[in-house]
Amino acid sequence: MATLGDIMEWTRRQVVSRVPKADLDQRDPDYIRDQLPGTWLLASLYFRADVQGLDRIPAEGPVLLVGNHSGGNVPPDTFVFTLAFCSYFGVERPFYQLAHNLVVSAPPLRGLRKFGTVAANHENARLALDSGAALLVYPGGDYEVFRPSWERHKVDFGGRMGYVQLARDAGVSIVPVASVGGQESALFLNRGQWLAKLLRADKLLRLKSIPISLALPWGLNISDLAGHIPLPTKIAIEVQEPIDVDGDDQAVHDKVMASLQGGVDRLAGKRRFPVFG
Amino acid sequence: MRVERRCVINADRATVWKIVSDPDCYPSFMTNLERWETSSDQRYGVGARYTVHWKIGSVPVGGLIEVVEFDDCRDVAWVGITGVNLRGRIRLRDTSQGQTRVTFRLSYQAPGGILGYIADRIAVRQVGRTLADTLKSLKRLVES
Repeated sequence: MATLGDIMEWTRRQVVSRVPKADLDQRDPDYIRDQLPGTWLLASLYFRADVQGLDRIPAEGPVLLVGNHSGGNVPPDTFVFTLAFCSYFGVERPFYQLAHNLVVSAPPLRGLRKFGTVAANHENARLALDSGAALLVYPGGDYEVFRPSWERHKVDFGGRMGYVQLARDAGVSIVPVASVGGQESALFLNRGQWLAKLLRADKLLRLKSIPISLALPWGLNISDLAGHIPLPTKIAIEVQEPIDVDGDDQAVHDKVMASLQGGVDRLAGKRRFPVFG
Repeated sequence: MRVERRCVINADRATVWKIVSDPDCYPSFMTNLERWETSSDQRYGVGARYTVHWKIGSVPVGGLIEVVEFDDCRDVAWVGITGVNLRGRIRLRDTSQGQTRVTFRLSYQAPGGILGYIADRIAVRQVGRTLADTLKSLKRLVES
C-alpha cells in the first residue's frame, strides 16, 4: 500500500517533469497585445489599480525589478504590473517574470509563458538578463505571498537575497517595485509552514508553506493550490529609483528592503479602508 | 471609437499654431499626459515621432506616434505606430469674429476583439474628458 511519502514523491516527479525548460521565445508579444484590453478592464474596473513611477525604470537594456509579493496564488500585483510595463514600454520590449515551479507547470496556466513567465531559478534569470530583457522577481515568493493579512504592509523576503548576487553577476541595477492591496484579496490566516513540514512538501515540492486562508469561493482554503476569487481590492504600485549593486550583498539587500518598506508605508498611508483603498 | 471636442480661442491662428506645432509645449497643455518624449532626430513636421502615454484607467496608454500631416497654421495629425491603433488631429480654423476654432479629435481601437471593444467603450468617457480638459488648458495657455 502506498504511503504518504510515496504519494508525495510521485507528486514531486510529476511537477518536476512538467516544469518547462526556459525558452525565451515562448514569450509572444502579439498575444500579449491582444490580452492587454482584458487585463486593462480587470485592472481598471475590478482592482482600480494605480501604478506610479514607471519613468524610473531605465528606458532600455536589462534591469532587475524586485517587488514585494501579495495575494496568495492569485497575486493581482503581478498582472497589474505586467500590464503597466507592457503598456508603458510597449509589448516589443522583452520582459520576463519568474514564477514558482507549480505556476509554470500547471496546465491551466500555460498561457502565462506567452506573457514571459519562466520558472524561478538562477539559470533562467541569467538567461533573461543576458538577453537584454527586463526581469521581474519576487524574492519573498511563497513565503511572503502567504503572510497573514494583518502583516499586509510588511515587506518580508524571509531572508532571501540571492537576487543581489544575480544583479551583480549580470551587471544590472535593481529597481524596487512596492505594492499594497494584494494581501487584502482574501483573509490570509497562517503561512502553514508547520503543515508543509508535516507533509514534507518543503522537501519534495519546494513548498515552504501550505497556507490557510478564508477565500472565495471555498470559505476555508487550505493550500490555495486551486487559487481563489480575489476580492476587488484596490491595488497601488510604486516603482522606485534604481539601486546600484555597489556594496556587499547584505548592504544592497538592506537598501532594497528599506526602499520597498518606505514605498509600502507611503502607499499604505494613503489607504483609508482595507479592500476599498 | 472616435472622440471629438472643440473650443474657440480668443487669438489668431498663428498664435495658436505656435503652441500646437511646438512639441515642447505639449506637456504644458495636454491633460493626463504621463510621458512625452521626442523619439526621432526630426523634432517636428511630417515624419517626427514621439512616445506619448496618457493615463487612461489604471495604466498609461499610448505608444509611439508619427506625425503624418503638418499643414502650417491649419492641421497637425498623427497615427500610432505601437500600442493601441490611434489617429489624432488638432485642427485650427478661423471664426467670423477673428478667433480660432480648435478641434481635437482622437480615433482609437484597442486590439483583442470583444474585450478590446468593451475597453474602448468604457474608456471613451475618460478620453472625452481628457480632450476637453486639454482644450481648456490650451485656451488658458494661449489667452494668458
